[in-house]
Amino acid sequence: MSELTVTTPEHVEIRLEPAGAGSRFLAVLIDFIIIAGITMTIGRLSGLLLPSAFGNAITITAGFLLTWGWHVWFEVKGQGRTPGKRALSLRVVDARGLPLSVHQALVRNIVRVVDFMPAFYGVAAISSMADPLRRRLGDIVAGTLVIREPKTVAYRGELAAERRFNSLRTPRAMRLIRHRIGLEERELLLAVCLRAEKMSPVARYDLMEEIAASYRERLDIDDEGVSGENFVRDLTSVLFAPSVLPSKHTVPGPK
Amino acid sequence: MNIELFIANRSPVWQQLEDALLKAENSADAMSHDEVQALVQLYRRACSDLNLARSYTANPDLLARLNQLTGRAYRFVYRAGHEKPVMPAFVKLITAEIPAVFRRQRLIVALAAAAFILGTLTGAAAIVIDPANGQRIIPPEFFTESPRERVARLESNDERIDTMEKAMTFGASLYTHNIQVTFLAFSLGALTIIGGIWLLFYNGVLLGAVAAMYVLDGVPMFFFAWVGPHGALELPSIIFGGAAGIIAGRALLMPGDLTRGASMRRVLPAVWRIMIATAITLVFAGLIEGSFSQFTSNTFPYPLKIAVAILLFSALMAYLFARRLDET
Repeated sequence: MSELTVTTPEHVEIRLEPAGAGSRFLAVLIDFIIIAGITMTIGRLSGLLLPSAFGNAITITAGFLLTWGWHVWFEVKGQGRTPGKRALSLRVVDARGLPLSVHQALVRNIVRVVDFMPAFYGVAAISSMADPLRRRLGDIVAGTLVIREPKTVAYRGELAAERRFNSLRTPRAMRLIRHRIGLEERELLLAVCLRAEKMSPVARYDLMEEIAASYRERLDIDDEGVSGENFVRDLTSVLFAPSVLPSKHTVPGPK
Repeated sequence: MNIELFIANRSPVWQQLEDALLKAENSADAMSHDEVQALVQLYRRACSDLNLARSYTANPDLLARLNQLTGRAYRFVYRAGHEKPVMPAFVKLITAEIPAVFRRQRLIVALAAAAFILGTLTGAAAIVIDPANGQRIIPPEFFTESPRERVARLESNDERIDTMEKAMTFGASLYTHNIQVTFLAFSLGALTIIGGIWLLFYNGVLLGAVAAMYVLDGVPMFFFAWVGPHGALELPSIIFGGAAGIIAGRALLMPGDLTRGASMRRVLPAVWRIMIATAITLVFAGLIEGSFSQFTSNTFPYPLKIAVAILLFSALMAYLFARRLDET
């Protein structure tokens, strides 16, 4: 799957990841359920309060306005996110990564009629599978795309600072670590530490123990007193800060 | 570079940017001048941090976070180019831009109208040649009584063609229905061109056939007075929807030297202006259809209703196509 690269005026490349058909369909389903719910509520209320003909007219008009206005309104006013898209971390942006203009939102939602055909977004599914940027016809016509914006891990770089009492910071261990662990593994270990917060406790414990066991074997280090997770974090902090740390991070030596 | 320290030093800045963005995305108008300035500063720092991080690490989580933060901030900082004050823009759109587009695209509008009129003539001719064709063209639920019987019944009994109750729901569903027909004409036109022309032709056939049946049955005045007032706005709207579709379709299917995207962007302003005009006319047509159109000669004489229809139609045409004084 290709991604869209936008170069900002600061000459920084921002990479936008197109969203797939599945999550987009779910988002539209959520929106549909909300719209149907509101329309039915209006129908009930107006049925109770007004003569039936008048009530029907209001319900039909409200349903129509909601069906056509919902997406346009939220895509322009809600930074490209309808409630359904917000729930699934999706966002509509234009081809330059900027917010939609009103006319782009109008066009992509008018063409929705075609994308919906023959039933339940059949045309849109085919179009988004064929297009490298996963766009449905409405997106292609309006020059927009739907991107994924998943919740990212807010990592504060606490590893180096936290691991003050690092049993791996001995000359022998540090030499072994530097010789036997490559760059790619280093990134992998950092990724594990970053994601640990998001794992379930059991999975986190098992994974960390497994990784620790494999590295203990490879590095020929035996310190069973340290838990798996602490070992992995120690290892990662040594990998990223092998030399002497600046003063605020130094370990107080024996006096 | 020590990436760990880099993260440790910069993550408070990224967190500030994230907080500022949350506020900006939820209530941009409530931000003070200083807050916006601060956000732009934070955005610039995040930009350079993103470049640094890309050079020194390949860690997907870290890069994803920075990339997303920078992207969101970029969207906020540079969105201004998209935004215009709404009311003046709207007034200009209605008074100047929409008529200008219609006059520039008059050939394609004429083509769409020709398809519709040709359909109408075909439908009418089919009925004149053999009235039995009516049952093949028009859905059977219209054949419970002949036009003449229907007119006689309506004019003797009630003062409305449909009762208040029926007209309200009928009108509401009709104008939502007609907006959908218009959008369908647009979409088919945009994707296939010929599909849009066919839909216009087909709607013309239906109208022509019904009209011919009423005329042959000796009640032409009733028919034109019934359909005229709202039809004067509604039928042009369907034609305009089809025309907008043809314009979009031509850009999409026959882009010439341009890429499809560039060709589409070139015609997009014309297309959406026509569609806005269409939507507004359709809503007016729906309002008329739900009320004025439903009165028989007992309330408004038919010539008056027909005169209103002609007036509405001329006003619409004058608005869209008449040359302005400030134009040469």
